[in-house]
Amino acid sequence: MTIPGFILKNAFRNKRRAALCVLSVAASLFLLVSLLVVLNEFTNPPEDAGASLRIAVRNKVSLATPLPVRQRPQIMKIEGVEALTPLSFFGGLYKGEENTFFAQFAMEPEQLEMVFGEAKLPRDQLAAWIANRTSCIVGADTAKRYNVKVGDKFPLVGQIYPVDLDLTVAGIYEGTTDDRNVFFHHKYLDELLGDPGTVGMWYLKARSAEEVPATIDRLNAAFANTSAEVLAETERAFQLSFMSMWANIKVLISSICSVVVFALVLVSASTMSMAIRERLRELSVLKALGFRRHELVSFILAESFGLSAVGFVLGAGGAWLLYGSIDAPTLTGGIFPILEVTPRILGTAALVAAALGVVSSVAPAISVARLSVVAGLKTLD
Amino acid sequence: MLHLFKYHYRSVVVRWRSTIATVLGLALVIAVFVLIQSLAVGIEKSSGNTGDPRNLLITRQGALAETTSVVTREQFNIIRYLPAVARDAAGTPLASGDVLIIVNLPRRDGTGSANVMLRGLAPAGIALRPQVSLVEGRWFEPGRREVVASRRLANRFADLHLGGKFKSGGVELTVVGLFDGQRSAFDSELWLDADEARSAFERPDYSSMLLRPATDDALAEIRKALEADRRLKMKVVREVDYYKEQTRTAGPIKWLGNGLAIVMSIGALFAAMNTLYASVGARTREIGTLRVLGYRRRSILLGFLLEGALIAGFGGALGCAIAYFGWNGYSTGTLGWETFTEVVFDFQITPALAAKGILFAIGVGLIGSFLPALRAARLPVIASLKSA
Repeated sequence: MTIPGFILKNAFRNKRRAALCVLSVAASLFLLVSLLVVLNEFTNPPEDAGASLRIAVRNKVSLATPLPVRQRPQIMKIEGVEALTPLSFFGGLYKGEENTFFAQFAMEPEQLEMVFGEAKLPRDQLAAWIANRTSCIVGADTAKRYNVKVGDKFPLVGQIYPVDLDLTVAGIYEGTTDDRNVFFHHKYLDELLGDPGTVGMWYLKARSAEEVPATIDRLNAAFANTSAEVLAETERAFQLSFMSMWANIKVLISSICSVVVFALVLVSASTMSMAIRERLRELSVLKALGFRRHELVSFILAESFGLSAVGFVLGAGGAWLLYGSIDAPTLTGGIFPILEVTPRILGTAALVAAALGVVSSVAPAISVARLSVVAGLKTLD
Repeated sequence: MLHLFKYHYRSVVVRWRSTIATVLGLALVIAVFVLIQSLAVGIEKSSGNTGDPRNLLITRQGALAETTSVVTREQFNIIRYLPAVARDAAGTPLASGDVLIIVNLPRRDGTGSANVMLRGLAPAGIALRPQVSLVEGRWFEPGRREVVASRRLANRFADLHLGGKFKSGGVELTVVGLFDGQRSAFDSELWLDADEARSAFERPDYSSMLLRPATDDALAEIRKALEADRRLKMKVVREVDYYKEQTRTAGPIKWLGNGLAIVMSIGALFAAMNTLYASVGARTREIGTLRVLGYRRRSILLGFLLEGALIAGFGGALGCAIAYFGWNGYSTGTLGWETFTEVVFDFQITPALAAKGILFAIGVGLIGSFLPALRAARLPVIASLKSA
């Protein structure tokens, strides 16, 4: 019998115990991966290709306070600004729904290519959208979800605004990190609201990435001490500011992660040391046969390492398969567009599994190393 | 039968070393479960504890929250002078037009900024909310750019301490007092004078209106008058009912708590089964002895099930204790879904929740011990007596 064969036989000698052990490790690693995925979505939202050039400008009071339209010519004069569109969050409900999972924004269709260049939309659909004031474009994910095609009606009931939209789908785009959003004409919203002369925020594109910081400073300075002071920031910073609103929930999830890891180590380590304790007599026989301490320790290490590796494959691999195939927006009530198991998360889980293998073999390894052959042979199992 | 219980109880106590890992593991599972559910309970309690049953809240039809509602000055004056509205000693109607403004403020711990609800209200608005009482400083004086903050909110934001100043909407506001809202939704708000708020933030209109009807009949009268009037298009609800509805934030938290508890307990279940199998294996001779003494197979089964439940019950109780002594009443906050502002609430570990946690643990214990108990019950008597 070869040494790897010996270790393998040993590990699976008590098949039930090995299976339970692997399963408990797998369940805990599955949970750890799930929590890390959620945490990753909170702290590190996906980034668009064009994001490095985009600047979000909102009212300094808060996102909920609008900006006056009169700022537009002033912004266009600021050096470094290449293109600009108003962007107003509509926050409506799709017909008959109580929770709508996609966001809707009013913007200027003419600026789509300039500001959101990564959105892929056939030229004729873009032209049709620009031509029809009550039409909209729908992200591919949303179009698939509601099974809407070009030409279909797309009604939205206002919640933030006291108006309802009666839209027609002019085009379906894809290629952004969140292909769920719906965009429609800002003019249509203005008309329904009786021209309030306000926009939710400005979204603009800088001429080059190097000019972004200076342009942001110029924007903030331009409206300082006016009645509508602005806060300009990169699109990335803007998205992250959303995440910071979750506050203690983030801390909560990361502390749960540590509790899970701790509980996992505790339980699995005790099970694995139990497996070794039962085998003390055999180990003393091996010692008597001339195996060295370090050889015995490496047997134990290999066994517990192997068990946690199998647990890792089942738990983390299972999570990877599961999150790759589920409909994340439906299951999470629209909180997360996707749940992605990144290589980094898998790496973290692998590290935890490896550490678990080492930690749980520490106590048995010490007792084996100390074991006197005679005492070991005498022990009754 | 009593002896059998005693045997199992003593066995658990004597062999505590072999079960300690299971107990602690389960304790952690239950602690996590109870803590997360206690957040949902905290949000629901804070919403359910807000408002005065005598008050009516008036918002625009179709608005889901006060923040997105609009009440024009004209509408405000029509409603305010309805004869059914109660009046104070000086004859002023007990009605307040409120302006709700969301302001973005830096956090105290330096981890970015968050939205806070700034409520502009009339003096009657304070009188209509007896839950709120001043604990430090004084009330704001209209026209002096003064605000009063919830004490619990002040603990979370950089500039909200007594004497703190912050700039928003082109004006600098000074915190001149701190109030306590008795763990209601008002604990997540900043208050200032309504007309001052309207001018500082350029709001021509009010957001919502709170009033007190003179009598219960008056309440129905006001509701009828407002809902029938097409000019107004207003929604009239009792203040308490409005806040009771504001619990959407608790939904995902409950979902998270349940999901976590299920997956964690599956992990704990496997580990507990392992421990119990080993424990049955090590006690083969004892089980044989019990059988010889006359205990039936089903008694053995029952005994081991009880042992599993006992171990799990210990774990569950320990978990509840960790959660209770570590976090009960601890104040925390997150993004409120209806208002899009920070809501401050407590971990609320109620007896019902603790009981749920312990029952959950016992359930895990029973499931986990079933197979090992079955094995114990099926051990052949003679062979088990002979075993080493």
